[in-house]
Amino acid sequence: MATYIAKRLGLALLSVWGVITIVFFMTKLIPGDAARVAAGRTATAEQVEQARQRLGLDLPVIEQYFLFLGKAVRGDLGESASTHQSVVSDLANTVPTTLQLVVVTMLLTVVIAVPLGALSAALRDRAPDVSARILFVLAGGVPVFWLAILLQWVFASNLGWFPISGANSFGMSPPSVTGFTLVDSLIAGSPAMFGDSLAHVILPALALSAPFMSTIARNVRSNMIGALDTDYVSFAISKGAGPYRVVVHHGLRSTMGSTLTLLGMQFGWMMGAALLVESVFALPGIGTYLNQAVLNQDTFAVLGCVLVIGIVFTVASLVVEVVQIWTDPRVRQSHLTGAQA
Amino acid sequence: MTLTSTPPEAEAPEIGADTPRTPARRAYEWLTPAGLGGGISRGLRGLFGRHTGALDRSAVVVSILLVAIAIIGPFVAPYDPYLAVPADALLPPGSQHWMGTDDAGRDVLSRLLVGAGTTLLAAVAVVLISTIVGVLVACVAVLSPRGVDATIMRICDIFMALPAMVLALGIAAALGPSLGSVVLAMVIAMWPGTTRLVRGILRVTMNAAYVESARVNGIGRFPTLVRHVLPNSLDSVYVQASMEISGAVVLMAGLAYLGVGAPPPSADWGAMVAQGREYITTAWWVATFPGLAITVAAIAFGLLGDVIRVRLDPSLRRKR
Repeated sequence: MATYIAKRLGLALLSVWGVITIVFFMTKLIPGDAARVAAGRTATAEQVEQARQRLGLDLPVIEQYFLFLGKAVRGDLGESASTHQSVVSDLANTVPTTLQLVVVTMLLTVVIAVPLGALSAALRDRAPDVSARILFVLAGGVPVFWLAILLQWVFASNLGWFPISGANSFGMSPPSVTGFTLVDSLIAGSPAMFGDSLAHVILPALALSAPFMSTIARNVRSNMIGALDTDYVSFAISKGAGPYRVVVHHGLRSTMGSTLTLLGMQFGWMMGAALLVESVFALPGIGTYLNQAVLNQDTFAVLGCVLVIGIVFTVASLVVEVVQIWTDPRVRQSHLTGAQA
Repeated sequence: MTLTSTPPEAEAPEIGADTPRTPARRAYEWLTPAGLGGGISRGLRGLFGRHTGALDRSAVVVSILLVAIAIIGPFVAPYDPYLAVPADALLPPGSQHWMGTDDAGRDVLSRLLVGAGTTLLAAVAVVLISTIVGVLVACVAVLSPRGVDATIMRICDIFMALPAMVLALGIAAALGPSLGSVVLAMVIAMWPGTTRLVRGILRVTMNAAYVESARVNGIGRFPTLVRHVLPNSLDSVYVQASMEISGAVVLMAGLAYLGVGAPPPSADWGAMVAQGREYITTAWWVATFPGLAITVAAIAFGLLGDVIRVRLDPSLRRKR
């Protein structure tokens, strides 16, 4: 088991290194002069030359690559050309916002999609099931950025139930300790700040969760229908188990494995989709940062974002695999004996 | 209709050695159940038969309509989609402009019709190219010695270590804003998934009894793959490809929304949403209609994928 995890960890590291390498050489393909971007629009030729030397852009590309890798291993990702801060500190400021959004999205997804899927299966082919399935299909097709705009328009602009954008209202930002506004406001001991932080995260999380809810609910529904057809469920019913016990205890439990696997995979995908939602709600997360960096040709910032997202993505899939091995004897058998294809 | 996996030759249409193989004849052979395209004709045959539900049927109809709009859209658009008429800026939907006008006074409906071509055809092209590339690489992996096979799979892992959205954004930005670079970026982001799936299927099919008998009869690995393994694995490929179209439409719209798609004046659904976003409180129609179009397309193609999957997926076939 330990050797297996170590091997997977090695492969994961290899993947992250590969991604960084590809993106590094890709950013060198971008037409345009990174030194000019860094020096600013009004810079003289001399200042541009200075910036070029300071950022090491006058060196051969291969040398730049190894210089970057060497620094990255020591935790230095260079300096952002547009914010003029170190990329590491920029990331430290933006990553918590995105992670918080993703975690809240995940909670919302589980709390709404799992009961809905279970209910849909229990009331199979009756009116609630049909309407729930139409809802799943709609949620699965709607583009998150458009849904985000509509939610913002209806619930923030028109009804005023939620704040329009940003991470906190003016003067309501909790003092930064962890970077997660929900946690920081609790540390500060201020229920008002907590409420403010929560109100700012609900709409983005709702928009982001739509496609993921659809997948989870459909998965729960189809697994549940399979489970409710089994002999052990018939047996439980004949023993006099009530509908609640049958659905929750016997049906839902057997669907949990695949739901957890799906959720773990979605964690990484949500990081990608968060890009779109953050830009609508002006949340200062890694998605907004990456989008700005890409549009500004800010090489080091792009690389930093790719590194972080790559690590989160690979760690998430690694955790999913380990949990599967842990909980499912069939997966354990096929993985640890090396019988996989 | 026989659906069991018989070797391709068994069902080949009777054709004498001297029958001329015209292009039409070749196309017919390709689409027969035994041909490489047999899965497509099997999946589409009887879509309107008794076994197809109302929802499935409407999904098929909407999909066909969307493709038709993508092709004829530019010819039926009532206005010039690029002509700015400042005097007509932000007109609400009415008898003159059914979906209103945008901030430059351009007709939203016309832009939607023209944008269908860009968005939908490009998404289909992405899926087509990434599927072909994915299948080819999978074939190479299966035929190659272990080391090469493992290396190819590691490369796939590397490409799959980032969400498709992030990878495509980076590549598209590196290549410069154009429709071509978005298509290329999405192909690069999507082929590894196909390769991984197809390689798994090919390896399983390689162990089937009829493949073994072909090999016992002295047929080499490459001819075996092309004539026996591939035709019997393609159904799953068609299923995968049809499921991917919906995701490709949404991903492409997302990239266009972020501003890395076709450059500004062109009518692209995702870019139209981005453009209408600023005016959502005063002129809701500018962003709402293109978003609705993306949603309808994603849902219709998604359901179409489901329909094809139910028809072709070997594990689901028996249940019907």
